[in-house]
Amino acid sequence: MATLDLENISKSFGSAKVLHDIDLAIRDKEFVVFVGPSGCGKSTLLRIIAGLEESTAGKIVIGGQDVSGAHPVDRGISMVFQSYALYPHLSVFENIAFPLRVQKMGADDLKARVHRAADILQLTDKLQLKPGQLSGGQRQRVAIGRSIVREPKVFLFDEPLSNLDAALRGDMRVELSQLHRELNATMVYVTHDQVEAMTMADRIVVLNGGRVEQFGTPMELYHHPATKFVAGFIGQPNMNFVPGVVAGVDAAGVAVDLDAGGRLVLPIEADGAAKGDRVEVGMRPEDIRLGEGLSLNVKVIERLGGVTLAYGALGDDTRFCAALDGVAPAREGEPLALSIDPAACHLFNSDGRVMRRKAAPALVA
Amino acid sequence: MRRALPEAWFAWLLVAPAVIFIGVIVAWPLAETVRLSFTDAKLNSESYVGFENYADLLSSSKTYETVIRTFYWMFLSVGLKLVLGLIGATLLNAAVPGRALFRVLVMPPWVIPIAIGCFGWLWLYNGHFGLISGMLQRFGILDGPFEFLAYKTSAFYSAIVTDVWIGTPMVTLFLLAAMQGVSRDLYEAAWVDGAGRWYRFRRITIPQIMPVLVSMALLSAIWTFNSFEIIWILTEGGPRGATTTLIVDTYKTAIGNYKFGEGAARAVIIVILLALFSLIYLFFLNKVNRKYGVK
Repeated sequence: MATLDLENISKSFGSAKVLHDIDLAIRDKEFVVFVGPSGCGKSTLLRIIAGLEESTAGKIVIGGQDVSGAHPVDRGISMVFQSYALYPHLSVFENIAFPLRVQKMGADDLKARVHRAADILQLTDKLQLKPGQLSGGQRQRVAIGRSIVREPKVFLFDEPLSNLDAALRGDMRVELSQLHRELNATMVYVTHDQVEAMTMADRIVVLNGGRVEQFGTPMELYHHPATKFVAGFIGQPNMNFVPGVVAGVDAAGVAVDLDAGGRLVLPIEADGAAKGDRVEVGMRPEDIRLGEGLSLNVKVIERLGGVTLAYGALGDDTRFCAALDGVAPAREGEPLALSIDPAACHLFNSDGRVMRRKAAPALVA
Repeated sequence: MRRALPEAWFAWLLVAPAVIFIGVIVAWPLAETVRLSFTDAKLNSESYVGFENYADLLSSSKTYETVIRTFYWMFLSVGLKLVLGLIGATLLNAAVPGRALFRVLVMPPWVIPIAIGCFGWLWLYNGHFGLISGMLQRFGILDGPFEFLAYKTSAFYSAIVTDVWIGTPMVTLFLLAAMQGVSRDLYEAAWVDGAGRWYRFRRITIPQIMPVLVSMALLSAIWTFNSFEIIWILTEGGPRGATTTLIVDTYKTAIGNYKFGEGAARAVIIVILLALFSLIYLFFLNKVNRKYGVK
């Protein structure tokens, strides 16, 4: 297995630049997830690593070896496609064996490798079936099996779960995490689903507009988002952004007068912010409690059992969501008094950059 | 149970137009052909002769020669159309500049009316002012003018060339459509696994387009078997019967010599041969579809 280093990777399609100087150092045996909205360049970056797409500039180093111009097969990677890319006319056995047949591997070795992969993926009793006779989850496993038999240095996954229904996606997430532990391999995984990213990744790369917004552990991204974009992208439901003005800066932190009314003194390093600057206070819905200080005009209530989501507006027009207790006494059309621990708040300047929190929860590695 | 009858009637009502249509244009002419085949129908007389027409046909060595020639004509022409169509589709499917223009350029032989295309070939094959004879003389391959349609062997193969020229574009376009339906991911997955161009063609393209390839082969075989205009315009079945296939023979007998009864017997034999051929083919197609994951 191996490290994967991307050095100043750029990609343009004609005059449109879709990737801007991507620099990433992925460690050996690490599970890294590229996440971002549609069109952020995450799949293009994966395809560049695979060798299916050429970068306009930059270098790809796998296991210390520069593979930038190498054929995919010489890069020591294997890839699982979103569509599974199974050959419908071949049996499961032949699908898994395909890369080995290309290599002209001997029959005994080939059989042993296919059976080992099938064993890991619980496909042994399905080897004679055609892909059309399998369920979505089983097809996905066959696609993974085809990757496993090549014993690559780096596994690449391009949104492999997006064709599955929600329940199966949850199961497959667990299976993939287990597989990562079993194979002890370097894996790069692309998804637009932040839940997949948070649950599976050792570290997450958040991409936006072809740039890396942040590269860190899931908990780093959650508790210390570098930008407003990351803060809004990571976490479910999304973080609320409440606009306001800096009322003062002192040793205790930054005092903010919210446009919706009220003042919060946040234990945050001012980072050059001065009285009168426009800022946005980031509040995660799950940090909101019933209390005093914020008044939410509730428009929609979603009761999920253990949690009640109250959607509405703070003041006149600041969209806001609070994740409250399952039995919270919230009613649509009525105001709801809420509070938040200032230590749980994030503060973003007008450029969307975060100001460092003084009292964030300790990070879980 | 009380509702069953009206529903059945309603269903019959819905299929009635199709049944009537098929009855008028297929069933009745077919039944009439079978009836005629048991007569010695001519322009102004008709009497029942039993199996005499069939007995005459089956006892004549000329019939067997014609059947063999027809199948040879069909297999050679269809084989060439499929091979050339496959090559053409592969080239048109390749990511080459100007691909759209080439796709348009493939169409004319198919789009031009068959008669006009055949008259063009008639001139090309002419020994004295035809392009082919002229070119071959210029390159020193021929000593003098050569009438391609005047000799048995050259006339047969010239007709094949024309038939292939007319029939290949459709095969090409159908195979191209099938190739374009193959997911790009399959090729990319194989490419990542190290499969070369030929390997991908052999292990992905061919199996993926096989159901279309087989269907095209069947359709093309039936059309080629029944191909009449091309032979008639080029050679009228000659010289000395060298290009007379079953359909041409049937036309010559029934329409040329006004022997409707004998012609009908030939037509019935064509129907039986094609039905047998189609049955074998459909059985094969079913197997192919199952093997290549269509069913």
